[in-house]
Amino acid sequence: MRTLLSFLVIALQFTFASDQIPAPPQVTPILIQNGIIHTGSHGVLDQYDILFDKGTITNIEASITVSPEMQVIEASGKHIYPGLIAGISTLGLVEISDVSVTNDYNEVGEMTPEVRANVSYNPDSEKIPVVRSNGVLFVNTMPTGGRIPGQSSLMRMDGWTWEDATVNHPTAMHINWPDMKINTNPNSKISIEQQEDNRRNALVELNEMMDRVRRYKKMMDNLPKEGVHDIAHDLGLEAMIPYVTGTKPFFVHAHEVRQIEAAVHWSNSQKVKIVIIGGWDAGRVTNLLKENHIPVILQEVLRLPMRRNSHYSEAYALPFKLYKAGVSFCISTSGSGFQSAHVRDLPYHAAMAAAFGLPADEALRSITLSAAEILGVDDRIGSLDVGKEASLFIANGDILEITTQVEQVYINGTTTDMSDKQKTLYHKYREKYRQLGIIRGN
Amino acid sequence: MKKSILLAIFASGLFCQTAPLVDILHITPRVYVLSNAHVHTEPGKSIPQASIVIRDGIIGEVGSKIAVPADATVLDMGGAHIYSGFIDGWVEVKTEAVQRTSRSHWNDLVHPEWVASDYYTYDEGKVDDLHSQGFTQIHVVPDDGIFRGQSSIIDLNAKASITSPIVSQIMDYKIRERGSSEYPRALLGTIAVMRQTLYDSEWYAESHAIYAKYPDKNEPITENVSLDVLGKARADKAPFFIRTEHETAASRAIAYAREFELKLWLLGSGYEYRRLSDIAKANPFIVLPLNYPGKPDISNPQRALQYRIEQLKHWDMAPDNAQKLVKSGLSIAFTTEGLKSPKQFRKNLILSVQRGLDEDAALAALTTTPAKRFGLSKTHGKIETGYHANLVVVDGSYFDESNAIKSVWVKGNKYDIEPGSGLLLPGEWNFSMNGMSGLLKLKGKPSKLSGALTIDTSVIDIKNLNVDGNQMTWTAKLDAEDFPGITRYSGKVENDTMLGFATNSHGDKFPFEGTNFKAAEANKIIKASASNLSVVYPEGAYGFGNTPDQPHSILIDNATIWTSGPQGILKDWDMLIIDGKISKIARDIKIPANNDVLIDGRGKFITAGIIDAHSHTAAASINESAQSVTSEVRIKDVLVPDDISIYRQLAGGTTTINVLHGSGNAIGGHNAVIKLRWGSNAQGLLLEGAAPGIKFALGENVKYDRYFKRYPQTRMGVEQIIRDAFTRARDYDQNLKSYAKKSRWRKTLIPPRKDLELDALVEVLDGKRLVNAHAYQQDEILMLLRVAEDFDFRVAKFEHVLEGYKVAERLAEHGAGGSSFADWWAYKFETYDGIPYNGALMHEAGVLVSFNSDDDEIARRLNLEAAKGVKYGGMSEIDALNMVTINSAKQLKIDKWVGSLEEGKDADFVVWSGHPLSTQSICAETWIDGRQYFSLQKDAELRTRDRLIRQDLIQKILDSEDDGNIAPEAPAPLSTNKDIIKCLWEDDMLREGGLK
Repeated sequence: MRTLLSFLVIALQFTFASDQIPAPPQVTPILIQNGIIHTGSHGVLDQYDILFDKGTITNIEASITVSPEMQVIEASGKHIYPGLIAGISTLGLVEISDVSVTNDYNEVGEMTPEVRANVSYNPDSEKIPVVRSNGVLFVNTMPTGGRIPGQSSLMRMDGWTWEDATVNHPTAMHINWPDMKINTNPNSKISIEQQEDNRRNALVELNEMMDRVRRYKKMMDNLPKEGVHDIAHDLGLEAMIPYVTGTKPFFVHAHEVRQIEAAVHWSNSQKVKIVIIGGWDAGRVTNLLKENHIPVILQEVLRLPMRRNSHYSEAYALPFKLYKAGVSFCISTSGSGFQSAHVRDLPYHAAMAAAFGLPADEALRSITLSAAEILGVDDRIGSLDVGKEASLFIANGDILEITTQVEQVYINGTTTDMSDKQKTLYHKYREKYRQLGIIRGN
Repeated sequence: MKKSILLAIFASGLFCQTAPLVDILHITPRVYVLSNAHVHTEPGKSIPQASIVIRDGIIGEVGSKIAVPADATVLDMGGAHIYSGFIDGWVEVKTEAVQRTSRSHWNDLVHPEWVASDYYTYDEGKVDDLHSQGFTQIHVVPDDGIFRGQSSIIDLNAKASITSPIVSQIMDYKIRERGSSEYPRALLGTIAVMRQTLYDSEWYAESHAIYAKYPDKNEPITENVSLDVLGKARADKAPFFIRTEHETAASRAIAYAREFELKLWLLGSGYEYRRLSDIAKANPFIVLPLNYPGKPDISNPQRALQYRIEQLKHWDMAPDNAQKLVKSGLSIAFTTEGLKSPKQFRKNLILSVQRGLDEDAALAALTTTPAKRFGLSKTHGKIETGYHANLVVVDGSYFDESNAIKSVWVKGNKYDIEPGSGLLLPGEWNFSMNGMSGLLKLKGKPSKLSGALTIDTSVIDIKNLNVDGNQMTWTAKLDAEDFPGITRYSGKVENDTMLGFATNSHGDKFPFEGTNFKAAEANKIIKASASNLSVVYPEGAYGFGNTPDQPHSILIDNATIWTSGPQGILKDWDMLIIDGKISKIARDIKIPANNDVLIDGRGKFITAGIIDAHSHTAAASINESAQSVTSEVRIKDVLVPDDISIYRQLAGGTTTINVLHGSGNAIGGHNAVIKLRWGSNAQGLLLEGAAPGIKFALGENVKYDRYFKRYPQTRMGVEQIIRDAFTRARDYDQNLKSYAKKSRWRKTLIPPRKDLELDALVEVLDGKRLVNAHAYQQDEILMLLRVAEDFDFRVAKFEHVLEGYKVAERLAEHGAGGSSFADWWAYKFETYDGIPYNGALMHEAGVLVSFNSDDDEIARRLNLEAAKGVKYGGMSEIDALNMVTINSAKQLKIDKWVGSLEEGKDADFVVWSGHPLSTQSICAETWIDGRQYFSLQKDAELRTRDRLIRQDLIQKILDSEDDGNIAPEAPAPLSTNKDIIKCLWEDDMLREGGLK
């Protein structure tokens, strides 16, 4: 009866293919029985039950007593995972990257710290249901472009509005670290001196910005309590205060070794918190990162090596290298607008890391709890633990295997609509070939 | 710094033979005997204590016992060595675009009629520089264009007398500046222009001949001076002299020369040693620049990372290139081309000689060889009676840098070489003046010297140091008796002595002397022995020392074999390979006697080598997009066998790829199906027998040319462009056929012109060339099917075809395959309806489906892309794997040889550590033609080898002297996140300069 019910729900969704409807808040407690529970925090619990109510996980035990108000889901042989988390993304800020009017991730200007991602997050993006139906339930959506593109927001893959969908804002202030390379090719259009100037200026401007924020804060903190005086607010400087004071982290995008080193030294001299985003050369500076307690959000494992000499497995083996060295890291997909639809392949980036040495539980952690830790939300999401948000999914196998199907997603305790634009089109055109007598069955 | 020309010139000579005399006649006698000289009459032959008679610019007697003519001026050479004047094999002259006329070629880069000597202007400074290295003649070439024009030989004298006005046709792989709208704008188009133009010249010559015979039967053809000149050059077997920037370009030039039976000369690149045997086989004459790379700046490890191994190796190996060419029997000459200043020439040549280049061979390359090649062997290159008096006079051997070049003679006129140009100023002199003695030390580069004077124990810095020729001036504050305050010094350097005067603060002059000069160590050559490194193929990381062996027999024992053939999946079966072919697949095969390789298959999975049906790997140029139809261009002309992606893809089990032209225009160029035979040359990559193909493109990439508004701008226009092209092709074909009929016995009519663009389309119409059509939306897919059906040909496959699932029944009916992305979508408007179920749904509806990469990264894990066929749409596992093996092979019509494991097929297979669709499996071995191109073990060995080479080279570089010349860091890696490349239409994605 119970399984039949869930089957019916899925079937209905296929029949009435339409836009996906956010589910109402959870009122019925849901008990998933006999699953293989990948907690993400304390190993795998085989043949366990998990109960959640009002959006929160309330119990995980070998056997939870069923009570009549519960919706019970039999999950014998099925795998239960915490919702996957993409550390950086532009999902929701772009629909079709090549159609510029659908792009909302790059504000004009070199430094636009005041802009925040979640306000232009489109909860009706056709991509969101596609991404979540592969188990990716959270993305940290970010602005891009310029030196300081603005602030990112952690979004949940369901909700009527961007406000519903916001898990946490702001996550971080993003900085694109200046290119440290000097092109010494004699045919280079920009002279070496000019390049060195540009590089120096970029850093000078960044430091001036930090300095302005500090002076601004001092000014605002010491405004005369009484009397008439002129006040002029600066939204950008205002937005920077929590980062400059070290309350929240800067997410510094840096790939090349010289960028990473420079960013770490900068964070020390400025006494600010940073996370390295990208980090393709992070394997060359593991000691530096570890000693300074700087985490890394690795951008893509499925990518080409940095240099012609680099080993073919450089990118695949990097997570294991960081793990061995004790650097805190998580794995993310690309943050590019072009690839914003491909957040759904997040588990396969972790899978490749596992194939090249990273222990399987660490691979899963790198897209769940580690990501939550780096994003500062590990008290709420990232693992299946009592008291955490019930955003999880049921799969028919190992989520790190491509052939595995995600069968049902629960976001904040609600049963998520598993249909999406792509499934709708699939069923529409299957129907065409059924009508033509080319295929039979469903 | 004007040099003194000792003897007046132009007493006679060609120039004055026809000019009327203006006033009074001046005669300067031009009869000399150069006595007491060591005469190098030709390479390998010299006469010590000899004399040379020169009469009016021509050499008379040469020998140790000659009679001095009564009218001769005798010059005692003081034992100097005399060589025949050197010939610089490639000096570019600045040309200027001329007014184009109806007789010009249609393309502004094609002007073979230009003559370099017409543009040559005498530039004293440049001539002085060349003289200072011993050059007396130059082979001048026009500086711009694809067919640049004709070269000439010019004497390095003030009159710039022309020895030979026309020597060769100069060509270059010219690529226009980025952003140009003119055709050609990519290397692909450049090579097509090279080919079409020579075909045109053949047609032009033939047409002219026919017209001359049958003027009554033909319309006269338009005069074209370019085609005329080229036709004559070919009829005369004139050399075609092609500029190359690397060894791959040399291979391209060789292929081109072979196609048109040209006498090939090359301007070398210095990289010839990397593909020496290929080049030696073709045996072109090569003019070599000696522009050795600067020292890599590896002062900090981060920066060192940016240098590629092949760059570091080149630093060490470049000076040995010439001797390798000579040893392999190639005929070479030298040029100062590519040097920052011609004055580096001698130093670099001496370096090569010290490292093993034979002196006689070097001398031949400067004298007899270029003289012979340039048609001057009866007058130039030797010191012999009747030869022109072009001479180089050196204090001793030319190949010892401490010997100064004293003078050169051009046509019997002497040009002194500015002393000082060879001065080795940094060093130490014993200094004495007015009873004081001490040490004068100079350091730094000659252009930027500093120094100090040590007298007794006091060290006085010298200031205001200035060198002008062999004059040196400076100041020093001696504060000594007779020398209060600052003293000025002015000296003249000659060999190891400096003589001059010091002027004290009162204006009194004192002679001073510097003796026993000892050159500073810094000026000693330090890279004096040949590199001990050997070449790998391709040069750089992971290159192979030699082609992997093909063992006679290989037995794979007890493996799980996914055949991708009728046998399906076989558990615990064996596969026997004999001589590169699959010989047998059976449950239990007896190990053959003397079996060479046994692969223990237990726990392993064997699949056919993966085939990527849509790739842009290993191509230097992707898209010639300056015209809407470019079916004349060919990927096989621009293959780059050293693309590291070949190796990376082997490491992911990929063995065969279809390298396609880009999608910037409706009808693009020919594709090339290649096997990833890492280490092979471009030719060796080609899968012999693969059906030829061509790229078409529809939709967004084609219709909106971002820079230039060009037809088409709509999908409506795309259709008409294609219909127009095929209509033209059909007409052309009919004209060819009717001409063949009409002219079966006697050619009385001008033939239709051979058109490479239309030839390819006629092949499509004849079903001989496969159409690979880039398309996304269903409307355009249907459009092309309809056009093809109207013209009665078949589209072999659609690329990407993201909406193929909407019209699968039409694809199946037409017989078109679909080569899709597994799950890409939503990056362009036309991909918004893309679904990952596309592959499975088309497959279910009877379409032959493959998954492709279109990307160097995805191409190395296509087995995992295949797994998405199972996830999205529920394909069976073997059907899914077939999407990257046998289905791709069938689409490319290469399934006779590859794509599945079946008896008789090529032994292209992969050994996987586990289930081929599992993310946790890795490729353990990759074999092509029964040769192991990748294995985890071999990879580890290569990695260690490269690490050690790198370590050693870095030590060697750190230990070497700074020559003030810094090699650029490797260019920034290509966008590793190839977002925008997704089959877009970048003209030259891998600009070849970036590959070194």
